[in-house]
Amino acid sequence: MADSYLVEPDVSFIKEVVRLGGADVKKCFQCATCAVACPISPDTKPFPRKEMIATSWGLKDRLIGNGDVWLCHNCGDCSTLCPRGAKPADVLGAVRAATVIEYAKPKSIAKMVSDPKKLPILLTIPAVIILVLGLLFKIVGINWLNFAPVGEHLWQSDYINNYLVDIIMIPTFLSAIAIFALGLKRFVADMHANALKEGKTNKEKIDPIEFAKTFVKVLPTIMKHERFNECSENKERSTAHMMVLFSFIGLFIVTACFFIGEWVFHIEGPYQQINPIKWLANISGICLVIGGILLLKNRLDKKDQISSYWDWYLIGLVLTLGITGMLTEMLRLNGSYGLSAIIYFLHLISVWVLFAYTPFSKLAHIVYRTVAMTYQEYSGRK
Amino acid sequence: MTNDKAAPASGSMMVVGGGIAGLTTALEAAEVGYEVLLVEKNPYLGGRVAQLNQYFPKLCPPTCGLEINFRRIKDNPRIKVLTLAEVEAVSGGPGNYTATVKILPRYVNENCTCCGDCAKVCETEVSDTYNLGMCRTKGAYLPFDMAFPARYVISPQIIGTDDAEKVKTACKYDAVDVDMQPKTVDFSVGAIVWATGWEPYDAHRIDNLGFGQYDNIITNMMLERQAAKNGPTQGQIVRPSDKKAPESVAFVQCAGSRDENHLPYCSYICCMASLKHATYIRAQYPDTKVYIFYIDIRSPGDRYEKFYNTIKQDPGVILIKGKVAEVSEDPATRNITVVAENAVTGEKIHQTVDMVVLATGMQPTAAGAKPPADLAMNDDGFFINDYAKGGMFAAGCANKPADVISSNQNATGIALKAIQTLVKR
Repeated sequence: MADSYLVEPDVSFIKEVVRLGGADVKKCFQCATCAVACPISPDTKPFPRKEMIATSWGLKDRLIGNGDVWLCHNCGDCSTLCPRGAKPADVLGAVRAATVIEYAKPKSIAKMVSDPKKLPILLTIPAVIILVLGLLFKIVGINWLNFAPVGEHLWQSDYINNYLVDIIMIPTFLSAIAIFALGLKRFVADMHANALKEGKTNKEKIDPIEFAKTFVKVLPTIMKHERFNECSENKERSTAHMMVLFSFIGLFIVTACFFIGEWVFHIEGPYQQINPIKWLANISGICLVIGGILLLKNRLDKKDQISSYWDWYLIGLVLTLGITGMLTEMLRLNGSYGLSAIIYFLHLISVWVLFAYTPFSKLAHIVYRTVAMTYQEYSGRK
Repeated sequence: MTNDKAAPASGSMMVVGGGIAGLTTALEAAEVGYEVLLVEKNPYLGGRVAQLNQYFPKLCPPTCGLEINFRRIKDNPRIKVLTLAEVEAVSGGPGNYTATVKILPRYVNENCTCCGDCAKVCETEVSDTYNLGMCRTKGAYLPFDMAFPARYVISPQIIGTDDAEKVKTACKYDAVDVDMQPKTVDFSVGAIVWATGWEPYDAHRIDNLGFGQYDNIITNMMLERQAAKNGPTQGQIVRPSDKKAPESVAFVQCAGSRDENHLPYCSYICCMASLKHATYIRAQYPDTKVYIFYIDIRSPGDRYEKFYNTIKQDPGVILIKGKVAEVSEDPATRNITVVAENAVTGEKIHQTVDMVVLATGMQPTAAGAKPPADLAMNDDGFFINDYAKGGMFAAGCANKPADVISSNQNATGIALKAIQTLVKR
């Protein structure tokens, strides 16, 4: 340890963490109960005690790019035992939000995603894109947007054509990946630098091939929610989270199959209910709604936990995706084609929101936490 | 110059609680001429202080000071002491209270010479509350060697049994009276001082620290009794599971104190108590290692700071900044492993020791049993003195957690406040 350390507090960072749900950080008196209470905190340089003091001192450089912040699964065991009500779990959650905002470019979008007042603007963007692009195509004679199609058995593609949807969604999806890639590049470099500085690793450099191999090794841990299940306080969250994660994976597979079917084999929907892909779609959709409701219920039940807009945004998105998706299908099967199309439009907005804003929202944890857990394993942190 | 030198003895006051603060208030008021009724629920005076082995930081026995106080009480006709007595109701206002006091029978009258013949014949054993239930005592007992009043007590548990008859027959002085009945008496007093003191916080309530779950985890007051010559182990510090001399002891500071889930405040004395306990252990076992896990060591003032610095010099005492939040027991050795993060080095410590002492704090007695009077209290059960209203005041640890010297200073001041109420009338 250095004999002296000049603290240069970044007050705006403290305020940012407070805004994102870490309002109780200043109550911490560094007793270190949290680091012991945490079932997954390692023995050397354990968290979250050191993150608590770094946050209250505004030491942004020790938090952004600190992989430990992502090892936390927000189970809340630390907050339960905390003698001061400083809520370390919520503080780490807020630091993670600040990290996402920090690495996402352009930063202005990240600021908007974390601000409830900007939600209407964020929702208007996909609505405008779909309508304007559809109308533009109409002008040049491509009829991908119909407000009053006629026919006996209509489905959503008769209103908003699947090709129109795909040419909007695919670039959005790819750009999200690009934004993630740029953020990750900085994140991994910072995380490694932080680990070297705090003596959390003995690896000098990161070998990409070894890192990829470690990722494969870590994947089952993530899928099985092994870390999540070590929590004692908040165990039921694990089930809800697992349902939502697997629903997303299921729906991603369904969407990919449908996409290939359409673009490669020119198979048009809607698929029959006996089609296995349809089964997967329906099961995943139902699980997504149930998982979302459970997440919502857990948050509402846990009164001692802070839930900020950052958290509500994601739960809201999960529920909107699930409910609009399932309603679209149910209304279509019921023959209410017009109403189904309106709901489908809302569904498309939420899908676009999912793709476009993921690198800027809480959902970005799917990437950051996975990478941080892989790095923990790779770096030999114990 | 006034020539009215006579004290306005028309007024008298009641002091509730015969611990160190109550004794001081009673004596200070009586020695300037006021009548004092001292009401104590135990069969003896001295309270928590009577249970201590040594005072910090001088490491001298409290019996010495208590003895002086008892002498002063004996010599002062203005103090009337009621033991086994509790206040049941208070009515009236400043200068004119009526206190209803219930006095439980001691079954032993003033003829008692403390010969001990009654205890010899008594077969029934009862829990020894003076020793915090760590051992048992005879149904006819002297609470401790230098108990005041120096008179045996007969436990209500043996009344009506053969033992009661045996005890009565054994007494050569006709001191045993098994027919004594509880009585309720009204007293008129001008002022009341509540010196109701404190209870050790119930360590069972601290789930993550294993008290009651593992034998070799004890509390600081239990260690105090162990270290005392008149305690359950005759002064030998041993671990409960096998009565073995511990080769290592860990102290868990702030066990239930400074904790919103338990007592939100600092109990003030536990740091100094644990440092003192380290001296007990180190003096008895020169090779035993003592680990003290703390959030901050609070040793306020010059003398306490010096004491802390002296203990720090001892290589056998290891102070670690980091609160213990997890304990476990090895079922084979019955050793305890405590887990804490050393906040200075940022490393987790898993320290295995023979015995763990929880430095539990003070909970005001009034938090469990609110006195039957119109008194203001805060959420934690400490009294809030209303000096403008007057009449009733709290002294000592009923006000706030305090060491003996602060309690006595406070009690002296409160004696004056009570006197002012009497004089105003």
